[in-house]
Amino acid sequence: MPKFASDCRTSVALAPALLLVFALSGPVHAQSQAPAPGSPEVTTADDEFSKQLRELKKSFADVGKQIDDSTQAIDRIKNPEEGRKSIEELREHVGKLLGAVADNGDVSRLGALALARADEKLKSLQQDTRFKPDERQFLVDKWRELRGSTETAIRELDGARKDFSELLRTLQTNEDYIDELMQIREHEKALQVIHQLSDGIRDASIKLQKLLGGIKPPGA
Amino acid sequence: MRAGRGAAAALAILALAACTREGGSGYVEIKTVPSNARAPALYIDADKIEALKSGTTVLRQPVGAAKLQLDGDGGKITLCQFVVKKNRITTLTVSALDRPPRCQCGRTGSGDPRTCIG
Repeated sequence: MPKFASDCRTSVALAPALLLVFALSGPVHAQSQAPAPGSPEVTTADDEFSKQLRELKKSFADVGKQIDDSTQAIDRIKNPEEGRKSIEELREHVGKLLGAVADNGDVSRLGALALARADEKLKSLQQDTRFKPDERQFLVDKWRELRGSTETAIRELDGARKDFSELLRTLQTNEDYIDELMQIREHEKALQVIHQLSDGIRDASIKLQKLLGGIKPPGA
Repeated sequence: MRAGRGAAAALAILALAACTREGGSGYVEIKTVPSNARAPALYIDADKIEALKSGTTVLRQPVGAAKLQLDGDGGKITLCQFVVKKNRITTLTVSALDRPPRCQCGRTGSGDPRTCIG
């Protein structure tokens, strides 16, 4: 049986039992969900976006390390089958990176929300008569600054999406080529392709490092 | 008791999440050419795709087959089908200048030439 099928079956079998324990252990008390006294009660879209960006940077750093390790392992590979497995692992790492910055992912969604919130704030502040002109100008300037840094972060993510997509495409094309070469027993040529690929991945790793330095959560 | 309930709920969610993750996901990249052309409203099966930034979007998709569609006079028109494989990217290009828009596959399988694969 495929690994997915067996793992999935176990998870599905366990879930109802665990949910039953959850249901039997008492009602949910609204009070337990309330924020502690003194803690901020409002989480804005830009707070969430900044938080997600910080988490993203951390996970990118972790995946970047895994990619570097895999690249070093590829250099030492002596048989194409091993190489093909390494490429598959690399695809998984790159897939994680791409998933984090995909257009339908949380980070992109929160980025768009943060931008919309900044626009809305700027619009409402322009018409706000509660504050003195200098106070209003201060608030407008701060929101413009926040909007600018949000836009910059979104641009960085757009670039990352493009880079990760290209890397994933390179990996899968090479994997397919290696597969074809193995079918016609061109093992030496397959090894050559595998070793050449590690150079391309190193370049991608450098780009990732630059991206890590470039991502600045708005308001940081 | 509350801690036990929380732990059980967390475990249940993790168990189901693990199942979904194991099923896997891949990616679909949709490009419109020319990139500055006003792209028609596109759908993946029933889900509308948000406006494409600079004519390109990369979406995470569950593994399996799906259809790229657009609004037509009598309902949705299928432009092409595509297959998403785990941790692979399938590329589709929509030519917005054609009437109706045409879908070109980055790569097709050996079967139906209108089915794009990654």
